[in-house]
Amino acid sequence: MNASYLPSDYLPVLIQLGLALGFIITTMIVTHSIGPKRKSQKKDDPFECGIPVEGDARTPISIKYFLIAILFVLFDVEVIFLYPWAVNFKGLGVTGFIEMVLFMGLLLAGFYYIIRKGVLKWE
Amino acid sequence: MLPIILLSVFGIVLLFMGFLKSKVLLLPATLVFILAALATTFMDWGKTYLYFQNMLLTNNLAILFTTIVLLSAFMVVALSNSFIEDEQAQPAEYYALLLFSLVGAIMMISFENLIMLFVGVEILSVAMYVLAGSDKHSPRSNEAALKYFLMGAFATGIMLFGIALLYGATGTFVVSGIKSYVYTNAYGVSLLLYMGIILLLIGMLFKVSAAPFHFWTPDVYDGTPGLFTAFMSTVVKTAGFAALFRVLSVSFVGVYSFWWGTLAALTCLTLLIGNVTAVYQTSFKRMMAYSSISHAGYLLIGLTALGTQTKQALVFYSLAYSLATISAFGVLLVVSRQRQDTNGVNENFDAFNGLARQNPLLGFVMAVSMLSLAGIPLTAGFWGKFMIFTTAADKGIYWILVFAVLMSTVGIYYYFRVIIAMYFREGAAEPVKVAPFYRYVLIAATILTLVLGLAPGLLEGLV
Amino acid sequence: MQPTQQVSIPELIQQVPLNYYLIVSTALFVIGIIGVLTRRNAIIIFMSIELMLNAVNLLLIAFSSYRSDSAGQVFVFFIMAVAAAEVAVGLAIIVMIYRNIRSIDVGLLNKLKW
Repeated sequence: MNASYLPSDYLPVLIQLGLALGFIITTMIVTHSIGPKRKSQKKDDPFECGIPVEGDARTPISIKYFLIAILFVLFDVEVIFLYPWAVNFKGLGVTGFIEMVLFMGLLLAGFYYIIRKGVLKWE
Repeated sequence: MLPIILLSVFGIVLLFMGFLKSKVLLLPATLVFILAALATTFMDWGKTYLYFQNMLLTNNLAILFTTIVLLSAFMVVALSNSFIEDEQAQPAEYYALLLFSLVGAIMMISFENLIMLFVGVEILSVAMYVLAGSDKHSPRSNEAALKYFLMGAFATGIMLFGIALLYGATGTFVVSGIKSYVYTNAYGVSLLLYMGIILLLIGMLFKVSAAPFHFWTPDVYDGTPGLFTAFMSTVVKTAGFAALFRVLSVSFVGVYSFWWGTLAALTCLTLLIGNVTAVYQTSFKRMMAYSSISHAGYLLIGLTALGTQTKQALVFYSLAYSLATISAFGVLLVVSRQRQDTNGVNENFDAFNGLARQNPLLGFVMAVSMLSLAGIPLTAGFWGKFMIFTTAADKGIYWILVFAVLMSTVGIYYYFRVIIAMYFREGAAEPVKVAPFYRYVLIAATILTLVLGLAPGLLEGLV
Repeated sequence: MQPTQQVSIPELIQQVPLNYYLIVSTALFVIGIIGVLTRRNAIIIFMSIELMLNAVNLLLIAFSSYRSDSAGQVFVFFIMAVAAAEVAVGLAIIVMIYRNIRSIDVGLLNKLKW
């Protein structure tokens, strides 16, 4: 493929940008001008049906969610080491398999530790 | 490379030992684990081996640095008997984290591939972030943990960008590969390489707290629980300088003329800031933080004047510094706990008033460690400074030598404040009690300091 | 049948000159540094640090595919895994502080001063 682009090659991008912006602006103006407007207490609530709203979105969430989130990030990211191994499974052979079993064993040891510590107990 | 594997496994074992009802076994088990790792370290003595697909390289120098690190860790753990009585403490986790951080330190000491340098730095640092904040309900400890974490992660980012640029310039992460690139392109070295060296050095100097990247050190050392401060200022510093030495002496020795001037300027700045600011402190722990900055300055002299003597000087100096620092913190821990004032533990200079009369042993241990840190003859610290200054003289960098000698006279002033407080001031009458094992560790450290001071040739010829 | 003009990922990466990658990742890195130095919120400082790490990842990938050398990509794996561990510890520290002082403004942390 050719690596050098002329400025005119970017014209489609500009047209696309203009179209996208134009569509958004037009729809916003049109809906505001032709739609009927009725205002009431119920209408202005964030949720029209369901339980009444309490406080704002900045209320602290239970710390349990946070712990689960941290653990998820940890275990989730360690899985990336499985990808190169899976791609190269045949080439790495038995040695690779043993090493991966060791790696997963260490992760499982950590997981068992978490359970014993009671981190995942919800109540 | 058995110690790395052993320490990792032992760390996990310790975590699970924490589920046992009794905490009595933890301390002896940790000590045995560290000794086992120390014993296996010497299996490679006298040989040069590459391990783990050429990721790590052990030689006598790496083994000596590993020994210093493990010895410091052994003494710090031996001084930790107070955890057993503390209800809040989680000794199993502290010990496990200490062992994990030792794994990181050994990787930093013996890396051959920059990937291992990065992973080692991170294993060491992440464990230390947690330990810095281990006193969960103290705002000071919290603050220390956050500052250490943010600054440490920032430094890692800078170091990584340097490594990425080095990779771009040379196409390899292997330390000796970078060396051969530098030699084959002696006149047309890419600009990326220079940028990479600068950023990598900045990142590493952050970790060893050299000026002007030292500003986090006093706060972090002050807020961290005393025992872990001792660990931080000995193990982390030794491992950091071992890593700096390896990368400078192997990879970048071909472009010595590029970096030595900058490093010399930073060395002088570190010595100046560390020593002069230490004079104005009222807290002993904060003084020790500035003192650790100034010792980073002395160690940097050895790197600036990189030569054949540098290895030996660095090993000797870090050993002398670690021994003296640990015994100083050991005495501080006992004294501050038993002489509390309204703010909890008293870590100021006046806590030591009259200590030599109530407990002559503690007074003597502290006096020897202060003399060693100040570099007075007949202690290990004197010969450490002597060897470091010799490297500078061999290289003919006399101005740095004059400046360093001047700064060590400033150092004498603040180290002697402690000795004066202990021997010539009146203090509280109640005696300071010390547990027997604690006492043996302090005595051993003091004897080692004095033996190395009388016979500095003991370590000669090992590297 | 696959269309023949499909390009491999390294070729795709190499369609952009190497200098551009260098400039973009340096810019990202500098934005990260500025964020660390100027912001007061611990979480935002932390996000800036992550930005710095990702700048490094981008640079390593670009160098790695230009040199046809896999070591750079392996390093990226390590950076990602280690960064996750760092995130976990860092967030735990921030939560611990929030529990004690009900704020994550680093300006409020001034118990330790020289």
